[in-house]
Amino acid sequence: MISMLYFVVESMGSFCSRQQPLNEVDSDENIQAAEIDRRIAQETKTEQHIHKLLLLGAGESGKSTIFKQIRLLFQTGFDEAELRSYTSVIHANVYQTIKILYDGAKELAENEPNSLKYVVRTDNKEIGEKLSEIGSRMDSPCLTKEIAKEIATLWNDTAIQETYSHGNILQVPDCAQYFMENLERFSEVNYIPTKEDVLHARVRTTGVVEIQFSPVGESRKSGEVYRLYDVGGQRNERRKWIHLFEGVTSVIFCAAISEYDQMLFEDDTKNRMMETKELFEWVLKQSCFEKSSFMLFLNKFDIFEKKVHRVPLNVCEWFKDYQPMGSGKQEVEHAYEFVKKKFEELYFQNSKPDCVDRAFKIYRTTALDQKLIKKTFKLVDETLRRRNLIEAGLL
Amino acid sequence: MPQFQQPASWRLEGGGQVIDLETAVKDGILGGGGLPTGKDGTLGAAAEKFDPKKMIEELDSAAEDVPSVFICPISLEPMVDPVTLCTGQTYERANILKWLSLGHLTCPTTMQELWDDAVTPNRTLHQLISAWFSQRYLLVKKRSEDVQGRAAELVQGLKKIKGQARVEALKELQKMVVAHPSLKNALADSGGVALLSSLLGPFTSHAVGSEAIAILVNLSLDSDTKASLMQPARISLVVDMLNEGTIDTKINCTRYIEMLMAEKSFRCEFMLSLSLLVALLRLAKDKRHPNGIAAALNLLEAICSREQVRSSLVSVGAVTQLVELLPNLSPEGSAPALHILADLSTIPEGLSALKDCPQTIPNTVRLLMRASEAGVWYALSVLWAVCKLAPDECASLAVEAGLPANLLLVIQSGCNPELKQRAAELLKLCSLNYTATLFISKCKLTRTIQ
Repeated sequence: MISMLYFVVESMGSFCSRQQPLNEVDSDENIQAAEIDRRIAQETKTEQHIHKLLLLGAGESGKSTIFKQIRLLFQTGFDEAELRSYTSVIHANVYQTIKILYDGAKELAENEPNSLKYVVRTDNKEIGEKLSEIGSRMDSPCLTKEIAKEIATLWNDTAIQETYSHGNILQVPDCAQYFMENLERFSEVNYIPTKEDVLHARVRTTGVVEIQFSPVGESRKSGEVYRLYDVGGQRNERRKWIHLFEGVTSVIFCAAISEYDQMLFEDDTKNRMMETKELFEWVLKQSCFEKSSFMLFLNKFDIFEKKVHRVPLNVCEWFKDYQPMGSGKQEVEHAYEFVKKKFEELYFQNSKPDCVDRAFKIYRTTALDQKLIKKTFKLVDETLRRRNLIEAGLL
Repeated sequence: MPQFQQPASWRLEGGGQVIDLETAVKDGILGGGGLPTGKDGTLGAAAEKFDPKKMIEELDSAAEDVPSVFICPISLEPMVDPVTLCTGQTYERANILKWLSLGHLTCPTTMQELWDDAVTPNRTLHQLISAWFSQRYLLVKKRSEDVQGRAAELVQGLKKIKGQARVEALKELQKMVVAHPSLKNALADSGGVALLSSLLGPFTSHAVGSEAIAILVNLSLDSDTKASLMQPARISLVVDMLNEGTIDTKINCTRYIEMLMAEKSFRCEFMLSLSLLVALLRLAKDKRHPNGIAAALNLLEAICSREQVRSSLVSVGAVTQLVELLPNLSPEGSAPALHILADLSTIPEGLSALKDCPQTIPNTVRLLMRASEAGVWYALSVLWAVCKLAPDECASLAVEAGLPANLLLVIQSGCNPELKQRAAELLKLCSLNYTATLFISKCKLTRTIQ
């Protein structure tokens, strides 16, 4: 670049020297303009080789966890400063969790038929009230050893345990158990969150975050560049900004399949799975994604696995025609295949005939499992590279 | 008929005579190149051990390098029991005896009249043939053992290597299986098949999966293996490859699924996903690859025979896509497509889709003249169903498209009676809404046919 510019300057210089000196100012500007044009052309060309991936999905479907996983896998991961920055988040999550459980127990004790099992022990009530108050503050205090002990005591109360196991109508976060089991560690004076802690930490995404990365393959010169975008999952104003993502290479739609018996955070009368279904339909119909590949991540399989035995799929209206087949691992597989088929049907019902060449693949994921995400992403990468070759007519 | 010719190689350097049989074969006197002998340099013992008839059967005796003097002029097959006539010509005993028993008293090759109908066993030729085939048998056996050794090596290696090396090993194994049919059984025994199945899973890359399928599709698998291959994750993998692969991969996947479908334990509702149906339709429409179109249509035809899947097929728009495909198909190729449409016309959604598609009637009518007999039968089924559903609308469309004239030609052709009857019924259905004269004029019939 520089040598070319030099040459241009040289030749322009020699050209100009034949003319009047008045033009020298103009020629400088011309050089600059040419340089800018060249720069823009080059960057546009580079931009075209960047595959843009958009993470979409309802709130708490696991998009941000996937985002963090990609950072851990393909970038330098989290440095100590960033890890430390999550301490207050994790402490806040702990307070929020126990508050939801305590308040939830009270609610269930009032409304449920066999209410007695949700009544917290008298000597724990005081702790419960205190923690509930802390959890409602905007800024939660640091998690000390004493408070951690109190939380642990309350967590072990049978009423709270009952509440937890029937927590689908409340907004108990999925990682509640993880937080409660690690209280001692979280309350250490020199606590620095681990990678796993960060993956579990729950922060509501606002706005858009993006990272650029290059998956390193076997042959280190794999060279594909990806840019991953994560947008907030809550309902507000999706319509307005979705068009900014016109022409992305691929939409990665996250659907938490374990949520078939849970209600929305924004609207606790709406079933989460139904919300996901409607969102997926809406996304499929957007003309800006007509050429984009669709990767569907059926997420939170680990929770789904366990729940299927306790809670029948039919509690969700979309799955009302489900017929259980047996038990054990086979039943889990059967249930999973049923859900997968439903999403597949939804996809084909909502894709116009001219979108038929769009790639559509379904992956079973557990966003917290790094190895799994790595393997899954490897497959996504292979598919997108093949797509590229097919489109270029090379395959 | 090949005349007995003295091959040039009979002439030895220096004009010596061939005394030693083994040497003659070994030195390639009989043509076909020199063959390696057994360990001790002789083939006498080997020649005794093998039954010539069995050897000839086992070896590919259609191979071009069987010396022409070994071939019976009547059957063009290598001779197991050569006998010579008085004219000096040699034939396979059974064949020449049959010739003579039919009353012929001539030598088949020279056409000379036989002055003596005795046949003399040609022991020399018999020994030469035995020796040559024993040699060849040993050679092929040796080669095949080598091949099996190499294959076993590859299979063992596959357990450990990963990535690109694994893909390369699979490619080599696939070439070997195609070139050496004897490997098919060997692979099953040595655990190769089990290994290949285990390579297919939810995280299998396309590169590995497509090579594994390319091998599996050439083997004959037992029921247990096929049952294990029907796990949903493995089927999903195959469907993905059907969507994304090269044309060869796509065709392999199609054949693979056809193979699995033949099993009793194949559960259509679970295995035949919408993605698979869409992928097959896409393959059927790819004009660049006619063999892909044929493969896809054949599998779709087989799938459509299972009633449970028909409504799924209609829901992904199969009707319109197949109808629009009809004009591009060859006469033989159109039969499967018409069969599928005929099957789909048996369900309400399918029938209404056929009626709603504007090209159904014109395209099917045109095919009546081009398709095979089976195709015509299905085309008539489709037309009958559609016209029965909406006689007023469809019958007139059919007449506009020239159906009656085609029907008359079908009726008059030399096809089977059921077909003629069907055509006649359809013709009657079409004519219902017209007066006789109007109908005849619409059909543009000539006086004679009237």
